[in-house]
Amino acid sequence: MLFTESTLVFIALNGVFAFSFYAVLVAGQLSLAQAGFAGIAGFTAATLTPPPAQWGPIPTLLFAMVVGMLVGAVTAVILGLPTMKLRGVYLAIATLGFAEAIRIFLLNSEWTGGAQGMSVPKTLTPVVAWVVLALVTYWFARQSRSRYGRALEAIREDELAARSIGINVGGHRLSAFVAAGVLAGLYGVMWAYYVRLVAPEDFGFSTAIDGLVTAVVGGTANFFGPILGSGFQTMLPEIQRTIGIEAGWIRPFISGLLLLLVILYLPGGIASLIPRRRQKVDIASLQTDAAGLSLRAHPTAGEVVAELKDLAKEYGGVHAVRGVNLTVRSGEVVGLIGPNGAGKTTLVNMISGLIPPSSGSATVLGVPIGRTPVHRIAAAGVTRTFQHSKLFNRLTALENVLIGAHVVAKPTFLRRLIWLPSARRDEHTALTHAARCLDRVGLLDKANTLAKGLSYGDQRRLEIARALAADPSLLILDEPAAGMNHVEADGLSELIRSLAADGLTIIFIEHNVGMVLDTCDHIIVLNFGEVLADGTPADIAADERVIEAYLGAADDGETDAHEADVAAAATPTKAAEENDD
Amino acid sequence: MLQQLLNGLFLGSIYALFAIGLTLVFGILDRLNLAHPSVFAASAFVGIWMTEAFDLPLWLVLIAVFAFGAIMGLLIERIAFRPLRERPDAHFAGLISSIAMAGMIVALLQAVFGPNTRRFPVGTIPEDALQFGDLTASWLQIIILAVSLGLMIALSILVQRSSLGRSMRAVAENPTAARVLGVNVEGVTATTFAISTALGAVAGVLFALNVNSAQLGMGSAIELKGLAVIIVGGMGSLSGSLVGGLILGIAEVFAIQYIGSSWRDLIAFALLFVILLVRPEGLFGKRKVREV
Repeated sequence: MLFTESTLVFIALNGVFAFSFYAVLVAGQLSLAQAGFAGIAGFTAATLTPPPAQWGPIPTLLFAMVVGMLVGAVTAVILGLPTMKLRGVYLAIATLGFAEAIRIFLLNSEWTGGAQGMSVPKTLTPVVAWVVLALVTYWFARQSRSRYGRALEAIREDELAARSIGINVGGHRLSAFVAAGVLAGLYGVMWAYYVRLVAPEDFGFSTAIDGLVTAVVGGTANFFGPILGSGFQTMLPEIQRTIGIEAGWIRPFISGLLLLLVILYLPGGIASLIPRRRQKVDIASLQTDAAGLSLRAHPTAGEVVAELKDLAKEYGGVHAVRGVNLTVRSGEVVGLIGPNGAGKTTLVNMISGLIPPSSGSATVLGVPIGRTPVHRIAAAGVTRTFQHSKLFNRLTALENVLIGAHVVAKPTFLRRLIWLPSARRDEHTALTHAARCLDRVGLLDKANTLAKGLSYGDQRRLEIARALAADPSLLILDEPAAGMNHVEADGLSELIRSLAADGLTIIFIEHNVGMVLDTCDHIIVLNFGEVLADGTPADIAADERVIEAYLGAADDGETDAHEADVAAAATPTKAAEENDD
Repeated sequence: MLQQLLNGLFLGSIYALFAIGLTLVFGILDRLNLAHPSVFAASAFVGIWMTEAFDLPLWLVLIAVFAFGAIMGLLIERIAFRPLRERPDAHFAGLISSIAMAGMIVALLQAVFGPNTRRFPVGTIPEDALQFGDLTASWLQIIILAVSLGLMIALSILVQRSSLGRSMRAVAENPTAARVLGVNVEGVTATTFAISTALGAVAGVLFALNVNSAQLGMGSAIELKGLAVIIVGGMGSLSGSLVGGLILGIAEVFAIQYIGSSWRDLIAFALLFVILLVRPEGLFGKRKVREV
């Protein structure tokens, strides 16, 4: 008999546990604390809950589950606050250590019964177990296409890019971690109320590894993953037993082998066999659909957008930027040029809040930089692109831009849980907004292409579209034309002018000086971290010091109107791209 | 007091030798090999078998086990890591595939040697102890300390001085650039794995000698401590693992003495948390300066 009652219950149990790993894996976090959460929650709930004779079995179980979920959540917050700044393997090991510490604590405590464990009434039935699994699955099904779910995906794909479009990465990571704690706590209680005798050893290292493996085998491509993984992992020993493979070494060997095969040949887990439904947009509805997002009020033309006072950044004695004073006014297109290593990227990194200045101060859109987190600065209306594009590679162009709209779109997850029609409307509005931003950069026909599949020039434009989706007041472009051909660069120049005409303020770093002279109202030349010149394009083109800093020697004979000297030295080269300044 | 310190040093040197293999692969290749502990366990069984079946002296067993560990490392790299190299999530996928390998290795171990605890035959090492003033050290402890420290010194000379070590450091810095400059990245990767697990294998034999038993699960017991040690020392730092291992060994011995043996296993994680809160890059780790 393959599907015994206990097999059914264990599929549901392992599924819930796998979801507790899924909850953080979708945000790109590898946590192994879940076994610890389950342990402390299981024991605490079993201790606090009165025997079933008092309230009846189901209310008792429900009460225990609530206690377990609360304990899981609180434990997750306690562990999460100090460890959320850790990444990757560090987080995995720290959380594993925490889980192990909990196990040792439970093992050495009187109230848990120590190594003997605690006897708990068996009240969990297959029906209850599967109802719980169904609810958990529903939760994640509704999460996946909400603003919250997309933000988690963005964090998984590229944390820095997520921060720079206004996603509060720390908060989202912590909430995902708490969800993992709640689910692990739930699992711990269900386990305790099914196995009759619960012991600290049930929540050890191998339990954590089993949960992780189940989640990974199932895959995080969609919300079926944990159930599929649990079905696979739970049924495997049963099937082996049914077809007469004896216990001992063969069963773990085959389990290991299958796990290896899945990870080698099915990178997204079993769930990746189910094709993913991508977010699509009906292009025809773009023109007719008048409803847009309620966008922010931009500063009026001429108002000060950014004010830099004596700004400096030092790396171990090297002055990357020093003594920069600068005022940027609304509606301006400001070009930032200078040789490699002049400090251009460092300067915009400070303006966008990615790195704090060593000294000096700056205010951008009324927000003081230095202590303000990047996502706050983004929310105030500063978005940017990066020198090496930082797209969410495994998502489509449209999904990238949709995530870019995070700060202007409304949160939809909780309303999606109860199927409120307004959530559907808001999602539709955001989608239309994203499609319009794509249209603006001329990429609408590639909306459903994966970002990594786009050409280099298209990737640069997609990054601009994503930054535009946040409806910024100040847009910072770091070498947007690098790798573009003449035609593409001309198109980009036009786009920048038209954005400025709409009231955006733009700062852009570019090595193509001809393009900068043609596009900008205001140019700043940096050299060795200091402002060498600051003025209109005509001033800059005539400035002897600029020509010298760029050239030092004669030009190569190109004689194209006013910018010949400067432009000749500054055509973008491969070397310029490789070389971070 | 001084005697406790010495005992801690012996225990710590085994932790250090185990952890240094783990951290070598992490530091140079940015991969965490979770099959490392299974090689640790396997080599203990293989070492016992060789001693029993061929009556080999301990030094020969150690050499043979070193070679066995190296071969296991090559296999693990070839099967569980190389096919995943080009994946965007290679780091994570390697973690899982090495867990799978670990499961298979332990299962095979059970198939060959059975599920029971094994011991080295009596007389593998001289039983008598040496007196240094008030301090006592058994031959076993001296062998453990000498072999571990010797191997770790040899490793650091290899990494710092030899041309292979130079290639390793180049790969650690930037694999693409190293390849462009003519470094055989595949070769260096495989060699790094081989050295790493060879050290883990020797640690396994020393551990089995020290506690006078070898069990199928002995790998997972030390795995958590090894992971804690490499974080405490600083991921990828060889000297960090050495110091971290010794600190853990000494702290555990003192914990048994003053707090009680049931809390001994908590020491590693307490150390881990203090370090993560106070100095997340570890004792000898480097801070990352710039991301964009």
